[in-house]
Amino acid sequence: MLPLGKQLIVFDGGFGSELERRGLGEYIPEDLNVTHADEIRAIHRAYAEAGADVITANSFGLNRIKYKGKYPLETLVRAAVENARAAGKEVFFDVGPTGALLAPVGTLTFDEAYEAFAEIARLTSDMVGGYIVETFSDLYELKACVLALKEHSDKPVYATVTFDAGGRTLTGSTPEIVADLLEGLGVDALGVNCSLGPEELAPIVERLLNATDLPVIVQPNRGLPKLENGKTVYDLSEDEFARWMRKFVEMGVSVVGGCCGTTPAFIRRLAEWKGRAVPARNVVRRTAVCSATQRVVLEIVKVCGERLNPTGKKKLKEALSAEDYDYLVSEAIRQQEAGADLLDLNVGIPKIDEPTVMRRAVTAVQEYVDLPLQIDSSDPSAIEAGVRYYNGVPLINSVNGEEAVMERVFPIAKKYGAVVLGLTMDQNGVPRTAQARFGIAKRIVARAEKYGIPRHKVMIDTLVLTASAEQPLVMETVKALSLVQSLGVKTALGVSNVSFGLPNRPLLNKTFLAMAMTCGLNMPILNPLDGEMMGAVRAFGVLANTDAGAEKYIEAYRDFVPAQTAAAAPAAGQSAVQTEGAGDLFDCVKRGVKQGVRAAAERELAQKAPLDVVNDVLIKALEEVGAGYEKGTLFLPQLIASAEAAKEAFAVVGEHMEKTAAKKGTVVLATVRGDVHDIGKNIVKVVLESYGFEVVDLGKDTPVERVVEAAMRIQPLAVGLSALMTTTVRSMEETVRALREKGCKSKIFVGGAVLTAEIAREIGADYYTANALELVKALESLLAK
Amino acid sequence: MNSSELRKAACSYLGFYGEPTEEMIALVDSGMEEARALAHFRAVGKVFSAPLAFLEKEPYASFLAGCSSYALVAMTLGSEVERRIRALFLSDPVRGVVLDACASALVEAEGDAWEAQFGAARTYRFCPGYGGSDVRDVKEIFAALRPEKIGMELLESGLMAPQKSMAGIVGIGKTKLRSCGACMLREKCIFLKEGTRCFRSENN
Repeated sequence: MLPLGKQLIVFDGGFGSELERRGLGEYIPEDLNVTHADEIRAIHRAYAEAGADVITANSFGLNRIKYKGKYPLETLVRAAVENARAAGKEVFFDVGPTGALLAPVGTLTFDEAYEAFAEIARLTSDMVGGYIVETFSDLYELKACVLALKEHSDKPVYATVTFDAGGRTLTGSTPEIVADLLEGLGVDALGVNCSLGPEELAPIVERLLNATDLPVIVQPNRGLPKLENGKTVYDLSEDEFARWMRKFVEMGVSVVGGCCGTTPAFIRRLAEWKGRAVPARNVVRRTAVCSATQRVVLEIVKVCGERLNPTGKKKLKEALSAEDYDYLVSEAIRQQEAGADLLDLNVGIPKIDEPTVMRRAVTAVQEYVDLPLQIDSSDPSAIEAGVRYYNGVPLINSVNGEEAVMERVFPIAKKYGAVVLGLTMDQNGVPRTAQARFGIAKRIVARAEKYGIPRHKVMIDTLVLTASAEQPLVMETVKALSLVQSLGVKTALGVSNVSFGLPNRPLLNKTFLAMAMTCGLNMPILNPLDGEMMGAVRAFGVLANTDAGAEKYIEAYRDFVPAQTAAAAPAAGQSAVQTEGAGDLFDCVKRGVKQGVRAAAERELAQKAPLDVVNDVLIKALEEVGAGYEKGTLFLPQLIASAEAAKEAFAVVGEHMEKTAAKKGTVVLATVRGDVHDIGKNIVKVVLESYGFEVVDLGKDTPVERVVEAAMRIQPLAVGLSALMTTTVRSMEETVRALREKGCKSKIFVGGAVLTAEIAREIGADYYTANALELVKALESLLAK
Repeated sequence: MNSSELRKAACSYLGFYGEPTEEMIALVDSGMEEARALAHFRAVGKVFSAPLAFLEKEPYASFLAGCSSYALVAMTLGSEVERRIRALFLSDPVRGVVLDACASALVEAEGDAWEAQFGAARTYRFCPGYGGSDVRDVKEIFAALRPEKIGMELLESGLMAPQKSMAGIVGIGKTKLRSCGACMLREKCIFLKEGTRCFRSENN
């Protein structure tokens, strides 16, 4: 057993640079375990002789996604471990990243990454002393890896990540976020490797030491690499390296070693301090939730957006049962733009497979919005699905004082390191007094600790009852907030419940929010699109002296216009290619001014039949814009702005002709498999919708089967396929062929940068259109037939 | 590239080559500001003197003729700007297309500035796919540079991820500006037909 966290442990140093030094730099490093076992063992031995406590197997690239050589994985894994064992020390298996980027940036899924690492764990668990997960730069892949190792092995897991000089990973995670995630997943030690030299790593090491109670591991490069005659060289001296490492050890680092460019001579210097007691650190723990790139500390008031919850929201209910995640995502984006700090996500509607929908919803939302999420469900398996696939450290909503509920939910919170929200109620309902609710809070906190969940990972909701029904109890909720704080946990409230059943609800909500914040509410759960409520939070920041210099407040209200004149000003956050007030509908659409569209359309509809509005006004305006764009006198944003305005107008017109005429027809759109570029397809979508077509957007990197399935199910007017490059035209061809084979009767349109009418013919498509407007024309003529 | 050139480049990606109005300028400038805030430019490069096999074929051979050496380069803006573009396409497509164009202009400009390390006498960056060359040659550049370490990946389809990424070749020892004269696509170029070009800057 290694004296981890008590005495300094020394790992070995750079491996790739040692291979190069021995003239083995040209080979696939992992193959050398079989082909050059003696040389590999010699390197391990040199590190052991230099005094390393732990020898890392030569297995960095050994996973089924990264390794592209000719040997079976199992053979190489075994050889790598045996070579390392020959040095007679504790052996850790080196687990490097897959080298592939996870979706949506790349195409690798979380499950595929997980499976690759699980395979490694299955092959090695009974052969090694532990795992050193290293050089990761994507938080999501790191999560997949650590989960896979923990779920397939009981050996220790140490995990290190690379950061750039700005203190972020390649995908934008900070040391604090990495520490929160890894600590939450239950690794044994965490830290930083590679990236930079020790000097440049110093600030990152300090941040890690302040962000976790766990032992910290540091394995720097030998300084910053320099390019000499086209070759990478490292030239920091052993003395200089040792000087910095000594500093880290004194700061409280528990495990040291080296990365690129370090040699046994460097490790020998570190080994001089072996057995040294690791100094204790006093880490201040804070309640925080994180996405991959944002960490929200519940110190001052943070707003949790409540709108991703179908209760009482007809449109969201419909979207969820149709699994239309675009709507969910756009609600998430709206809340982010309105200033929410984190978002509640609840997908509970009757008759759906809640765990599956939760997983998909989490995946969809995090592709677009980087706010931390609160996974909200009464079904523990839905909670686990959400928490597992979440790229970060989420909040779980919720447990309550009921034993059975805590029993089901706390193990999930513990396993994934999530923060958990406890409601002060139990099987007997919500207690009437603040004291009784405080009693439940104490019970929740104590039970959480039994499950190994510390207080900074627990929040308490003292529950708001409506003033109309339970007027005397409103103050009990507020009083309970103050009591609960004495437990050292943070608090939350769903504030707008208070006004239910009374007139002028906003006034009550705002007043109650101010009262609660004054008594220590940390996280109001509210509708961030309600400007008054957000305003109250901002104002509280000024008055409670948490918004230093009233900076955020001034930023928000710099251009404040009193309500009487506000109507004339454009809505904040709305882009406008044209900002002047618009006149009639034609003008609105032509100039792309969305704000005035609804009123202008209503005026138009008062005089004309809906179809005439479409043909005489909307289509004409769009044609004029299209002509301008084709001539080069208008640019793309203007075309898009007009399309957006027209879409809004079509919606209004649609309300007036519900029964008489349906939409023009449905078009299924997809960017083909292998292609992740969807800007062109998205432009087509906006324009088609503006002309009144219904669009089913299958997204990008769309599997052939998915296109076929949608086409056969929907029987659309047309299927539109997009590909950016020659390389993906082939999968476009496959898609077309599959559609034909299944007897798809819809016309197939293709487009994209490299396509021509000729290629379209070759791959069997019906039409090639060069841009969105041509596609509209072609579809219109199709309809006319 | 100064900010007005950068803006001009972004406008050209948005299909506009004329003199932009004040409103367009405001829109593109705010897009550029957002692109800069979200972009994390990272690049790798390696100088070679002997040509790798794939560079012996056309059009690379002609492109590198007269150069003393050359560098392979790969660069990216990272994935954060990509997520923002994706989100804007749902919430505000106008800003979405603008941010997309700004990010494209930015990665080109950052790349040009970064390549100054290869000396004043150098060619512009020629990327596989330009001028009728085979876009699949990007895999040769990936094999030589391993830009995975800066967060780039060559997908099976031959596309690079993140999207705002480039991989190319810079000839050293000879100055060469972008021009239409030598381009294999000259005959059927849609830009030339419209009296414009596919590139914006006269510089490297």
